[in-house]
Amino acid sequence: MTPPGAALVTRIAALSVALVLVQIGVVSEVPLFGVNIDLSPLLVAFVGLLCGSTLGAVTGFAVGLLVDLALVQTLGVTSLIFTLIGYWGGRLRELRDPQAALTPLLVGAAASVVSLVGYSLIEFLLGVDAPVSLDLLRQIVLGVVVNTIAAVPMWALVRRVLESALPDDPRRRRRRRAYTTGGLSPLSRS
Amino acid sequence: MHDKTVRRRRALLVLLVVLSLLLLTAYFGEAPSGRLHSVQRGFLTVVSPIQDGANKALKPVRDLFGGISDTFHAKSQRNELRKQVAKLRRELVADQGEKRSYRELLGVFHLDNQLSIANYHPVTATVFAKSPNIWYSTVTIDKGEAAGVHINDPVINGEGLVGKVTQVASDGAVISLITDSTVGVSARLGTTSATGIVQPKVGDPNDLLLQYLPANTQVGKGEYVVTSGTVASPDNSLYPPGLLIGQVTSVNEESAYKSVNVHPIANLHNLDVVQVLTAASGSLPANLGRIAASLPAGQNPNGGATGEALASTGAHP
Repeated sequence: MTPPGAALVTRIAALSVALVLVQIGVVSEVPLFGVNIDLSPLLVAFVGLLCGSTLGAVTGFAVGLLVDLALVQTLGVTSLIFTLIGYWGGRLRELRDPQAALTPLLVGAAASVVSLVGYSLIEFLLGVDAPVSLDLLRQIVLGVVVNTIAAVPMWALVRRVLESALPDDPRRRRRRRAYTTGGLSPLSRS
Repeated sequence: MHDKTVRRRRALLVLLVVLSLLLLTAYFGEAPSGRLHSVQRGFLTVVSPIQDGANKALKPVRDLFGGISDTFHAKSQRNELRKQVAKLRRELVADQGEKRSYRELLGVFHLDNQLSIANYHPVTATVFAKSPNIWYSTVTIDKGEAAGVHINDPVINGEGLVGKVTQVASDGAVISLITDSTVGVSARLGTTSATGIVQPKVGDPNDLLLQYLPANTQVGKGEYVVTSGTVASPDNSLYPPGLLIGQVTSVNEESAYKSVNVHPIANLHNLDVVQVLTAASGSLPANLGRIAASLPAGQNPNGGATGEALASTGAHP
């Protein structure tokens, strides 16, 4: 486990602060299909997917804390959920390193499910004073759908900001070389 | 080497999860004046100007997306509003005669000392942040203690009741909207004196529930629900009487009590400017609020046992 470069950490921190500000100042004010897009779990999952489980978990904790502090919510709830999302995103990369085009969509959807269901579970455990509508399920499903739609541009943004600061990964270097030099490219056989 | 890396990675995960659980437990267990709440208020004070600036800079983007979203609903809203205008015009004509008689009677019996919104020293504030979470219906405004805003102050906009102040810093405050799971408002139907509690339905931001109405209450669809001007417990916010909350959409028949579904009148998805009703210290609303806050829960100062402490205006804890 090599320590992450200062440039990478700085970029993640800047991106996180900027995205949380945009989230609570703009994105939250524009409902889509009656629900709000939540960019923060997407950001955390994608940082994990690009940078690994350690940075994913730390970013998740920090972004969660920032969100809870800025929105004056119960401290620790968002940190707990986002830590798990960031760690899981990182483990996915470390174990499978998925390269399919649909990966951001699936990771975004999974991160949204964990975030929305996790929040609901914790709130139920803490006790809810008000009656709970069955429409909560519809809100969760719609939330996952709109977040999944937002996952594609979000992935492009996170990758664009972080990719040049990422340490060189031997697996990706091998894969890149294979496809660019023609050695193992399926096109070169024909 | 690999084992060491794995151990370190797992230790970090456990550390962060334990830290989150400790924060959660400590925050949940402490009083609103506790350390973690103070840290949160301090953070709000620091970031309020930054968020406010960012909000102003990003307003054109928000307006653009908001405009696109509004366009989709414009036609159906226009038709609905036309129907409402025709109905309200008829009601206005009928009410004008009754209003004149009412004023005369108030004068005759020396009862014309009702409080108006102006008595509450309304402070106009701009909304600059909103929670995206289903479980937290909160917004943050750019006015705080420095402008006289206190915890539990009622918040309105041009359409009706919006919520109440739940956290306050020197230059910012957090408002829990009436759709937030922690907010309950004493309310009555526009045409009857029967009171109940308006609570949100978690998961359905466009629906509220007016509960605990007497079973024999006559309720019609489309009827208005307004604040009753009473509180159910000394910790509750005292909303001035007569503030519009919403309109009845359906009635639920239950055995002991009746409950009705209420659609909020104020557009809570698109809040830009709100007014905080800050009763200044020593004013009549503040004094009445203090009296109400000192009453034990469930006691009526008039001697009745209605289950609600009677008070008429904005309170401070």
